[in-house]
Parts: sequence; structure tokens; C-alpha cells
Amino acid sequence: MVRMSTLADHLRALPDDGLAALIRLRPDLVIPLPSDLSALAVRAQSRLSVARALDGLDRFTVEVLDAVRYLRPDPSLDAVLALTAQGGAGPARVRAAIDELRALALVYGSDHALHVVGTVDEVMALPAGLGRTAAELDPAAAELAADPAKLRRTVLGAPPAARAVLDRLAAGPPLGALATPLADDSPVRYLLEHHLLVRVSEDTVELPREMALVLRRDAGPLGQLHPDPPPLAGPDDARAQGGIGTRALREAQKKADRAGAGQALEAVRQTEALLEALAEEPAAELRTGGLGVRDLRRISRATGVDEPTAALLLEVAHAAGILGDDETGFLPSTLYDGWQVAPLAMRWRMLAAAWFGMPRSAGLVGQRDDKDRLIAALSPEVERLGAPAARRALFDVLADLPEGIAATAEELAAVLAWRSPRRHGRNRSLPVAGILGEAAALGFTALGMLTSYARPLLAEQADPDEDPLGVNDTGAPDAAAVLDALLPPPVDAVLIQADLSVVVPGPAEPALAAELALVADAESANALRITTTSVRRALDAGYSATDLHALFARRSRTPVPQALTYLVDDVARRHGGLRAGTAAAYLRSEDESLVAEVQADRRLAALGLRRLAPTVLITATPPARLLEALRAAGYAPVREDATGAAVLARPKARRAPARPAVTVRREDPLAMPLLSPARLGGVVEQLRRGDAAARAARRAPLSVRTATQNGTNAHNDAMVVLQQAVRDRARVWVGYVDAHGSSMSRLVRPVSIGGGYLRAEDERTETQHTFALHRITAAELETT
Amino acid sequence: MTDGPLIVQSDKTLLLEIDHPDASACRMAIAPFAELERSPEHVHTYRLTPLGLWNARAAGHDAESVVDALLRFSRYPVPHALLVDVAETMDRYGRLQLVNDPAHGLVLKALDRVVLIEVAKSKKLAGMLGAKLDDDTIAVHASERGRLKQALLKLGWPAEDLAGYVDGEAHAIDLAEDGWKLRSYQQEAVDGFWAGGSGVVVLPCGAGKTLVGAAAMATAKATTLILVTNTVAGRQWKRELVARTSLTEDEVGEYSGERKEIRPVTIATYQVLTTRRGGVFPHLDLFGARDWGLIIYDEVHLLPAPIFRFTADLQARRRLGLTATLVREDGREGDVFSLIGPKRYDAPWKDIESQGWIAPAECVEVRVTLTDEERMRYAVAEPEERYRVAATARTKLPVVRALVERHIGDQVLVIGGYIDQLHQLGEYLDAPIVQGSTTNKERERLFDAFRSGELKTLVISKVGNFSIDLPEAAVAIQVSGSFGSRQEEAQRLGRVLRPKADGRQAHFYTVVARDTIDTEYAAHRQRFLAEQGYAYTIIDADDVHSG
Repeated sequence: MVRMSTLADHLRALPDDGLAALIRLRPDLVIPLPSDLSALAVRAQSRLSVARALDGLDRFTVEVLDAVRYLRPDPSLDAVLALTAQGGAGPARVRAAIDELRALALVYGSDHALHVVGTVDEVMALPAGLGRTAAELDPAAAELAADPAKLRRTVLGAPPAARAVLDRLAAGPPLGALATPLADDSPVRYLLEHHLLVRVSEDTVELPREMALVLRRDAGPLGQLHPDPPPLAGPDDARAQGGIGTRALREAQKKADRAGAGQALEAVRQTEALLEALAEEPAAELRTGGLGVRDLRRISRATGVDEPTAALLLEVAHAAGILGDDETGFLPSTLYDGWQVAPLAMRWRMLAAAWFGMPRSAGLVGQRDDKDRLIAALSPEVERLGAPAARRALFDVLADLPEGIAATAEELAAVLAWRSPRRHGRNRSLPVAGILGEAAALGFTALGMLTSYARPLLAEQADPDEDPLGVNDTGAPDAAAVLDALLPPPVDAVLIQADLSVVVPGPAEPALAAELALVADAESANALRITTTSVRRALDAGYSATDLHALFARRSRTPVPQALTYLVDDVARRHGGLRAGTAAAYLRSEDESLVAEVQADRRLAALGLRRLAPTVLITATPPARLLEALRAAGYAPVREDATGAAVLARPKARRAPARPAVTVRREDPLAMPLLSPARLGGVVEQLRRGDAAARAARRAPLSVRTATQNGTNAHNDAMVVLQQAVRDRARVWVGYVDAHGSSMSRLVRPVSIGGGYLRAEDERTETQHTFALHRITAAELETT
Repeated sequence: MTDGPLIVQSDKTLLLEIDHPDASACRMAIAPFAELERSPEHVHTYRLTPLGLWNARAAGHDAESVVDALLRFSRYPVPHALLVDVAETMDRYGRLQLVNDPAHGLVLKALDRVVLIEVAKSKKLAGMLGAKLDDDTIAVHASERGRLKQALLKLGWPAEDLAGYVDGEAHAIDLAEDGWKLRSYQQEAVDGFWAGGSGVVVLPCGAGKTLVGAAAMATAKATTLILVTNTVAGRQWKRELVARTSLTEDEVGEYSGERKEIRPVTIATYQVLTTRRGGVFPHLDLFGARDWGLIIYDEVHLLPAPIFRFTADLQARRRLGLTATLVREDGREGDVFSLIGPKRYDAPWKDIESQGWIAPAECVEVRVTLTDEERMRYAVAEPEERYRVAATARTKLPVVRALVERHIGDQVLVIGGYIDQLHQLGEYLDAPIVQGSTTNKERERLFDAFRSGELKTLVISKVGNFSIDLPEAAVAIQVSGSFGSRQEEAQRLGRVLRPKADGRQAHFYTVVARDTIDTEYAAHRQRFLAEQGYAYTIIDADDVHSG
């Protein structure tokens, strides 16, 4: 038989569906699509892909993989079976594990010659928690290991403290940290001296494989194996009590479902209360994102929902999309209105599904981050991308439990650690208690059990692409439908009592809830109260007293108490008893007939006068125009001020508003200004300089003055002239464009050219000038 | 899903629909641990409080029975969190016990060592605890018994007081059951109290609390100190005791502002005990004046704060609290629990009602329309004067007279809050007036005349209208009066309108000026009277005149 030596050969020999199965199990192998099977094999042996494949293995499969690795160089199935049998594992389970490893292409080859993908050693620790062989570690230890009898004697001869150290290391991992300096009576010193341990670095010791095997002689080289997940106390307890029948279990599940349904109802109610509180007064978003502690506390107090639960429910509401944010802060989104009127069970399912899938961990709210800052709800710090996977892993365990069986957080953590030790094993356990706490608050679980209505949600979360047409629809009940059966039916009638309290004997149907929200104030979940204010609110919203009487009569299961009838009538009687409006001016008169006359006057129709009382008219026209129009129509109105006193309006000449007078100068404005001697000197100097420059410019040759028109040649010519002038130290007329774009010319003696600049001195003013070369348009030697 | 009468809300209130067929059974089941808060006609509101749950524990109910009652009667699924909370709260009572150790005297003993360690560390207990005797026991100074219980309650670990009581000075007291018998629930109340040693008996107004006190004294057969709210109430106690027990006039002393008698049975008023002179309480010695075997606190819910302080030092004496309600306006229910004792008996309300010992009165609000002149006077009145102007409107007088005439032959009380108005009423109705300035002697005389039926109509002011016992009054007409506290109002009503021998209905009229602040006050009164379960109707003054 030809021994297949490489994974590529193995893959090539696989039938199509075998390859497909592998790719299904390890989809990362084909992203991106490798060019051929050799490339696929390379990728299947890459560190990352192997690590990913190993992460999904349960503890027992890892142990079987260790067995294969332990048996190298020639592991065969029979050898593996023999070895694992010592650890207490049945052959069927071992074969299944090998099959799984093969399917994952972590192990390949025939039963007689199993191969482990080499990368496994890079990713995983030494097999079965065993150290390296003594020969690899230390000659003295190798010598001891070579003599089994002596080795046994030495091990058995170790004092109890030393033996304890040995046992611990033998159980794996084989490496131990070394306290330095080593005390004289330290058991480790004894072990090192007797070569049972080998010091592999300054502060690490290792137990050689041979020594460990001696210590593991009871359970075999692999130690005790774990073919089954750790048992849950639930079923065992039940068995201990003489076996709880399926009926009792069903009862237990029913009890949990009821408690959970109560909690689910509560979660929906609390979420609604929280969002209503935010609708009333939106909470501003922090600069760093999220909802401030103070706002959270305010909302918590206003709704009676404790802060951690409020943070959780707000996170969930946000994930579900019913809580949104705009520039005013966090407030219910438009989706909320639809959610609010949906049946209770649907509303719960929306929240529960959002929670299950949200990549956030609400438990972090209120804790402090690395910089000791409080983590705010709805802030970016709450994000945990691994959260959905963690929930899924945990609930997969719960879902596998038979109904009626409860599990504690510790038990679940242990099962998780068995299911995928590399993911949830030691030091990296999931926040199981936290997740369960959130689940219980939402009514996802109750009494430590997965509720029957939450179960379908787990299935719903599975990949929808798997079965896009729903061909394989098992007809499994929808979460909302299951929950709905547990929830009280919505009620559409209330009990109204003489103390004006309204009791809603169950969850109100949306129409009733909307009506009640308008006409009564909530006192608790099921009790409201009708007050003067609430009746006035209803009247403001357009209800009449008759409407309200009808509403109460229609909704009340009991006769409407007389007190309520009186209250509605009392408030309605006074409602609108005072009217407020705007008017720009009023017109009043003691003479009712005059008022009537003005109102009837057609010429004044444009003023839009309205009669408020027999003696009062109002208009939107300002007083000045009103007076004008009245006078024009021949009336004699008088204006009055805010206190009612007449304002006299004698005709006045038109004047512009006063302005400050122009200040009068003491001296003759036309006299010559006086100049100080210093100022005079300056003026003279300036004049002279200007003049000199002007004259000089006039003296510049025409070619220089007009050089701008000449273009590049002139510039090149200028460079030649300038270089010549530097050598001869001759004076040159330089034409250039200054920083303001005007053409100038100057007589200078060039000193140097370099770095893009011409440096030159003006002997007349004894100053240095620097000209940018590109600005120079022309140069001509002074013609003497 | 069951279809029970109870709605359990997550804010720990219970709504009981009383028209439901199972309502009575449910009420019996939840009464031991839930406080009745409101009892309007259709749905009663109960509340679960830690104290209520601990009272239930003290009375021997366990968490399981409480949770079971909630689940059994609840109409809808009960939130899981609430059940957990109930169980945890109840579990806290009695983890610590106060017991008498033969060697070390009073000790605090832990059934749960961790709790003892936790409370021993608390600063609130500093100075109350003595030496640690062993891991589960800490000595307690005998003088700190009351304060320690108060502090432990505040810490949320109420201790069970099993340290026992002194017998006190013996004194022969027997019930004189000639022609009457202790009602069965009264006997149960006394038994419950005696078995517990100390505690509170809750009975509705008119259910005969005085007799429970008398029976407790007859059981203790020891000298007794009775603390009452005021002198008139004290004299009623004395009258009852002399009539119903073997005690004679001379054996019962009155310790009040007027008289300072200390007898084997002494009745003292809260007022005299809490009188301060120069920063000290001069009458405090009364507690040590005799070796009292029993202390009775009447109207525990009104017990003033200083009395609590004195009571803290009396923990070795048997204490009986009598009240109609455990709810206190000042929220000191916890002090009643730790210093007087847990609730020992709570009458099954339904039973008492069905046996006809209390007949809720019918409350009627009569609305009068003010005359235009009065309306104008009201409209321009200063805000602080408005109520007085509305309440004392003369328009009310004819209505009051019409009401009195309507109940001709009945004993009628007219209650007012303003002296001027009382005088107007007195003249108008030709009836005597009892007011603050009326002497105790004159009051007694008028009340006696009223009780005997000699006097048909009596006008009384606010001072006289609570803590008086006028069982013959069948009609009360309230014309004005400030808005009191919830239970004061109910008390007033309960006292004035005792059940009638012939089962006639009692009537309580309030005359209110329409569209004024008077109506607003009336609305508040209406609300809590409705909450107390009184039927309430509103009628117009014209109906009174015509009908």
C-alpha cells in the first residue's frame, strides 16, 4: 500500500463530497478561493486555520488528538484505541472522535498510519499535558529515566511535599514556575537534586515525560479521559430522589414558563416605561457617546426600574431599533410607535431577538474602564463583538437540556469548558452568570431553565441561507405564538372606582392603553387615576364632556361612579371658561351703539374688527393705523396707554431723530497744520529719496525699463550681464518685478549670484538688496 | 393560566378584585403578610413591605406559604424577580435571636454566623453589644434591648425577641362577663398576643379594642399602665374597665393634665407624658412608679416619638399595642415593630363585617350654590382667606337645618371648624356647642346628655370631634374643617358613627360650596373615604330642600 505522505495527496484523493464536507466544516479554507488543491492543503495547514478548527473541538476530541500525537512516529487507530482505553474511553467514542478529526483534515491517512497536520504542534501545547522526554531535557534525568526500577524507587522515595509537586505537574501542564531563591528545604530543590525535575530556564522547571508516565500509571499515559460532558446536578438530583417522572419535569417547565412569562411581560412594560420617559425628556448624548449616569439615574427613578436593568433594557431597545437618537439626544424612534401597538408577545420577541444578537454587553455599564472612567450605557465601550457567540454557545448548552431541568451558572460554565476547552476553558471562561442574569431579566430564562417560548428563538437565529425557501420548515412554533399562549389576553375594559382610580385587570389592548394614557395618570402598572388635570388634558385634546362620559361608560365593567361624572362635568364646565388670543389693538367705548356703528361701517371692513363684548372691538391692525383709518372715516378716537389713560396726540412737525453735534474746533479750520521739526525732517528725507529713485529710474536704459515685454531671452541675457558684472564688480541697471507685481528698476553693484538670488548693493542708499532671480526681467551695465 | 382575583404588580402592590368569587379566600390568604392600603368598592390595593413580611414570619408564616398564596390567587404570571425578593426578605427575620442566657443574661444569638459577623461590624450597633461569648453569641447590655432591636431592623436583620418578660406586681383582675361575652375574635386576639408576649393587635374601629385590652389585663392579672391619646378617651377606658371587669373606680387611676393618680391600673395620656419642662420630661417617673406587669398602648399608630424612646427602656415588660391600622403618617412603622412588637393578630375583616359589628356609613356630599354676593366675596378674598370664606358661607345654614330636619328623631352631630360659624349654627339650630374653650366638665355633661338621647343635636368644633365616643350619633354633618390626614378623617368618621343597635344606617354629610376651594378639599376627602370603602354620593342642596 502506498503511504500517502502529504495532506495535498490526501485531499486530492478525496471524493468531491468529501472535499465539500471539509469546506463546509472549515469555510475559511476557500476565502479567498485557492487556485488548486496544493494551495488548499497549504491553507489547511496554516496556523490560523488550524487554530480555528481546533477551537471548535470538545475536550474529548482534543484528548484523542493528543493520543494520536503521543503515539507518533507511528500512530495507528489500534494503538490509539488501546491507549485511550486505559484512560477510560470506549472505542466507539474514540472512533467517532477520529472521524471528526479526519473530517476536519486535522488528522489524515489510513487507520494503520495516521498523520497529524504538523501545524497542530505549533498551535497546541505538548500532548496530554506531558513534558518532553528526559533525553531532550537533561542527561542526568535521561540516565535516571533509562533505569525504570530506579526511577520508580526515586519517585516513591520522594517526601510528601515533593510528591504533591510531582503529582500536580504530572496532571499537566508539566511546567512549573520556580520561586527564586529556592529555599533549602523546598520540595522543588529536592526534586531537582534527584533529577525528577529539570530546570529549563531561570524560573521554570519541567517534569520529563518518563517521570510523568510513572506517576500516571493508574490512568495510562493520557491520564483520565473525559468522553462525556460534566453532569448537571439537576437530573442526578432527580434520580437520587427516586426519579422524577416526565410529568413532574413537565410541571417544572410549566412553572418556569409561567414565571418567565411574568418576567417577559415585565420587561416589555419596563422598556415601554423607559422609552416613554425618554420621549418626555430626551437624554442628551455624551460627547464621548452614550447616555450619562445622571440621565440614567433620572430615568431609573422616574420609571422605578433599577439602574442595571434600565441600562440593559435601553441597550436592548437600541439594538432593536426602537430607541433612536438625533441631535436632541436619545429618544424613541419611529419604529417605536409600531412596536408599541404590536401584540405583547411580538414586542417581547423583538426585544429578545435583539438582545440575543446584539454585539454588546450591557453588564459593563456602570463599571470602570482601563482609564477608570465610568462606562456609560449606549456608549461605544459597551460593544463586545464576541457577545452574540458567547450567548449562542451558552444557550446551545441550555437548549440541549431536557425540559424541566435547571442548571446553575457553574454547571453551565463547566459544560461549556468541556464543549470547547480552547474557547471557554481555564482563564477564558464566559461571563456565564452575567449572561444568565440578563436572560432572566428579559424572561428568556426562568428558574434556571430555558423557557419554552425562548427555544424557537435559538432556532430562528440559525443561518437563514441554509434553507432559503423554507422547504425544511419543521412547523416549529414561533416564539411569539408560544409566549402568547402563556400571556394574559389583552383586556379592553377597566374597573372605575369612587376614589377615581382605574384598574386595568390585565395588559391593556393598544386602543384602550392610548385612551387611558390621555384621560388618566398612571400610578402603577395596572392602576391609573383620573384627576382634574387628566380630565382637562382630555378636554384639551378635543374630547367633550359627553365623549368622556361615553368613553367611561363604554370602557367600564362596573357602573361609572357618580364622583367621576361630577368630576368630568365640573372640569368641563370650567374648561374654556377663559379664552386667550392675540390682537394688535382694541377699540372700546362706553357707548354700545357707537361700537356697533364702527363695526358695521363698511369703510372699516379692511380692519377686520371683531366684537368681544358690547363695548369692545379688537383687530389685528396696529393702533397707529387703526387710529388713522378711524379718523379718515370721520370718527374721533383717542389713543390710550396700558393703564387706560388717554394719550394726547397733538399734531407734531416731522423731525429726524437727534444726532450728536459736530465738535467745534478752537483753531481756524482752514489754517495750515503745524508740523514739528522732527516731522519736517522726515518729510524732507522721504521726498529726497523718492526723487532720487525717480531720477535713477528715469536714467535706466529703455531696455531695462520695458524689459517685461521681452520674455525669456531678455532674462537669459540679463543673467549673462549680471554674472559679468559680479566678476567685474561693475554697476548694473536691474529691471525686476517687485512683490506687488509692478516693474521696477534700480542701479546696483552685484555682489554674488547663488541659491536663486542676486545679492547686490545700492551705493547710493548704502543698503543691500536681494533679488529673486526669477523676478529679474533685464540687466544692463551702467553706461558711464 | 388561572383566573384568580389577584393582580400581582412588580412594584409589590397587589390588586384584589373583590367581586371575584375567590376574593374572600384570597383576602384571608394574603392578609397576614400584605398591608391593606386602599379599599374602594371594586379593587382593593395591598402592599408587600419588608415589615409586613416579617410580621407574617413572626406570626409563623413562612416564605413558601406566601409565595404559594401569590401564585395560587394570581390571575397572571407573577414576575420571577418578585417571588425571589419575597423569599429573600422573609428569610432575614429571626436569623438573629435575643435570648436570656442563664449564665450571661441577655445575649444576641445567631442562627447564621455570617449575619452575626456582619451586624457586629456595623457602626450602628456600637456600644450596644458586649463581649463575644462564642462564635454564635454576643452579650447584650440589658438596657440596650430595645435600641438593639431598632438598629437591627434598620440593618435589615430583624431579631426575634425571645428573652422573656418580668411578671410585674400581681393584681387580681377578672372579666365580669354578665350578660355579654368576649367575641371570638377578641379572644383570639388576646391569645395571639399572650402567646407572643408583646405585640400589636389590629382591629377595625368599633370592633371592641378596649375589651381586648381588658381581656389582656385579665390574663396578665398584674398592674397595668394604659397609654391613651387624650383625657376623654382615658375616661372612656375607665368607664369600660369598671363596667366590664372586676376593677372598681378606686383601682383605676387617671394620670392626666388635671389629675395625677397612680393606682394598680393607671390610665395616662400621651400628652402628659410628653410634656416637657426645662428640656426634661417631668412625668417620666410614671413608668417606674410601679412594677407594671403590662403596658397597653391605645392607638399605636398615633404614638408620639418620645414615647418610643421611653418604650425602648421597657423591653422586659409585656406590651400590647391596639390600633386600627399599622400605617403611620410619619413612617415609623419599623419602631412599632421593634419596640412594641410584631403584629400578633389581624382580624379577618370579612368576618367582623358579616357579624355586623361595623356598618360603614353612607357619605353624602351636599353641594350648595353660593349667592352672587357670596361668590363675589369669595372671588376677591385673599388666597389664605378663601377657604374660610367658602366654608363659612351663610347659604350652608338652611341646608344644614334641612338635613337635621330630615333626620328628625336621630342623634345629629354638626361639625365645624370655625368658631363664628359654630355660633351661627348653634343659634340657627338652637343647639349647644362644644368647642376648645368648653371645660371638660361641661363637655362630659353635654356628651352624657347626648348619649342619653336627652339632647338631639350637638354642634362640635374640631377639638371635640376625634377620640370621642358617641355611639348614638347616627348622623354627622360636617360644615367646615381643615383637611386632615388620611386616617384621622377615617377615624373621626369611625368614632362618630358606631354601629347602631337596630342596624340603622349611619349618615355622614359634608356641606360644600360649589365651584370653590371647598369642593377641592371635598374631592380629597371623597377620595380617601372611597379608599376606605365608604359609599359616597354627591347631591345638590336643592334635593335636600325638596326631599
